[in-house]
Amino acid sequence: MEPDSRSARIQVLVAEHAARRGVRVGVADVCSAAVATLPVGGAGLSAMSRTAPNHPLCSTDDISEQLEELQLTLGEGPCVDAFLHGAAVLTPDLLTRDLQDRWTVFTEAALAAGARAVFALPLQLGAITPGVLNLYAHLPVRLNADELADALAFADLATLVLLDTRITETGYPRGGSVEDLGANRAEVDQASGILTVQLGVGIEEAFVRLRAHAYARGRRLAEVAADVVARRLRFSPDAEPDQAEEET
Amino acid sequence: MDQQLLAKTFVELADSLVADFDLIDFLRLLTDRCVGMLDASAAGVLLADQDGKLRVMAASDEQVRLLELFQLQNDEGPCLECFHTGAPVIVHDLTREIDRWPRFVTAAHRSGFGAVQALPMRLRDHTVGALNLFRAAPGPFDPPATLIAQALADVATISLLQQRTAHRSTMLNEQLQTALNSRVLIEQAKGKLAERQGIDMEQAFSALRGYARSHNRRLADVARAFVDDSEPLAGLCV
Repeated sequence: MEPDSRSARIQVLVAEHAARRGVRVGVADVCSAAVATLPVGGAGLSAMSRTAPNHPLCSTDDISEQLEELQLTLGEGPCVDAFLHGAAVLTPDLLTRDLQDRWTVFTEAALAAGARAVFALPLQLGAITPGVLNLYAHLPVRLNADELADALAFADLATLVLLDTRITETGYPRGGSVEDLGANRAEVDQASGILTVQLGVGIEEAFVRLRAHAYARGRRLAEVAADVVARRLRFSPDAEPDQAEEET
Repeated sequence: MDQQLLAKTFVELADSLVADFDLIDFLRLLTDRCVGMLDASAAGVLLADQDGKLRVMAASDEQVRLLELFQLQNDEGPCLECFHTGAPVIVHDLTREIDRWPRFVTAAHRSGFGAVQALPMRLRDHTVGALNLFRAAPGPFDPPATLIAQALADVATISLLQQRTAHRSTMLNEQLQTALNSRVLIEQAKGKLAERQGIDMEQAFSALRGYARSHNRRLADVARAFVDDSEPLAGLCV
């Protein structure tokens, strides 16, 4: 990771928010750092799934909380669309006819709650889609290219933070920082696919287990992934990865 | 250069752009034609994410060693330079550039490449990525071939805009994001299929592409359904 990259800058911002709370980085810190950085009034994050019930995870204020719950209850709105289509939904002004037709109930309720612009950014790594980051503003606002790139980077970090919370305490990253995926993306994604078969689990669980292994051994994710792809390392469902094979 | 092949390639690419469009399949076709037509040994299309990191969108060979060689250029190499300057980078003899890019040149040599070109993918005033061509033998590139390679890089850029997102998005960032996420899907599916069938990554890619084509579906949709286990996809796995 380049020290001056966007993701590095955003990771530092989020870490500062966590440090202020005196806790390790969580999705709440991603939300509060996003509000401090972007021209928005509040942020919230919902866990979403095609197979399990959706639920709100955090929000920075009452309006955000209402917006999260509204959409999950109604089953409509930018958050729902962003999840279903796997693409960001940017709504600079809710007071447009087209939107009032698309999300009839949500639009009215959101305006009544005090939101005028809403942005929904899906958390996604290929087929891994654990949730949506939602932002709102009191006034109509359009995110410029730089702000949108920041928003996408916040969503990327939120994805990793959210998935890392599924790693047990003992396997959590040393030093508490979230390792980004680095440049060797192809191997990490291929390795996750390989682990779905070796472990008999879904892609999300496979990715979490890959990272947990890397954290527990103090190794870089890209190295572990390269070992899996090169068949130097195998995982098995009822044991730690095979040491004998790992050493050959 | 073979004029007939050139004409055939442009007809083929234009056809794909106007027909039921599948970005991943299209870019793979484009890299394959670079190899067939432009005296290249391998080709790849790299796109920058919002972090400015170059990521592989398509390659003429799906094996991990070639993908690594592309990815390595996030630290150093012709693609990185091309992406930063927005200008073509043409290297006739890689062995002479060992001081400039020590890691990249070593890795390229190990993979059997002696010469390289990186052509910018430009959209208005942005450079969004690069088309990377490798050739086994060192020596000058044919100038008309470089012009055609640049035209193919431009076609690749245009194809990105062909991908429609659900909400008629006009923001380039989002479109790139969607494109890059489809590629992540492909890698996940390749890994799963390769492991399940005991085949290599190139065979896994071909099987997924073959299934998508014969069922008239987008490659990324097939990859998602396969990774999610949401459909039986009869015929993809034996």
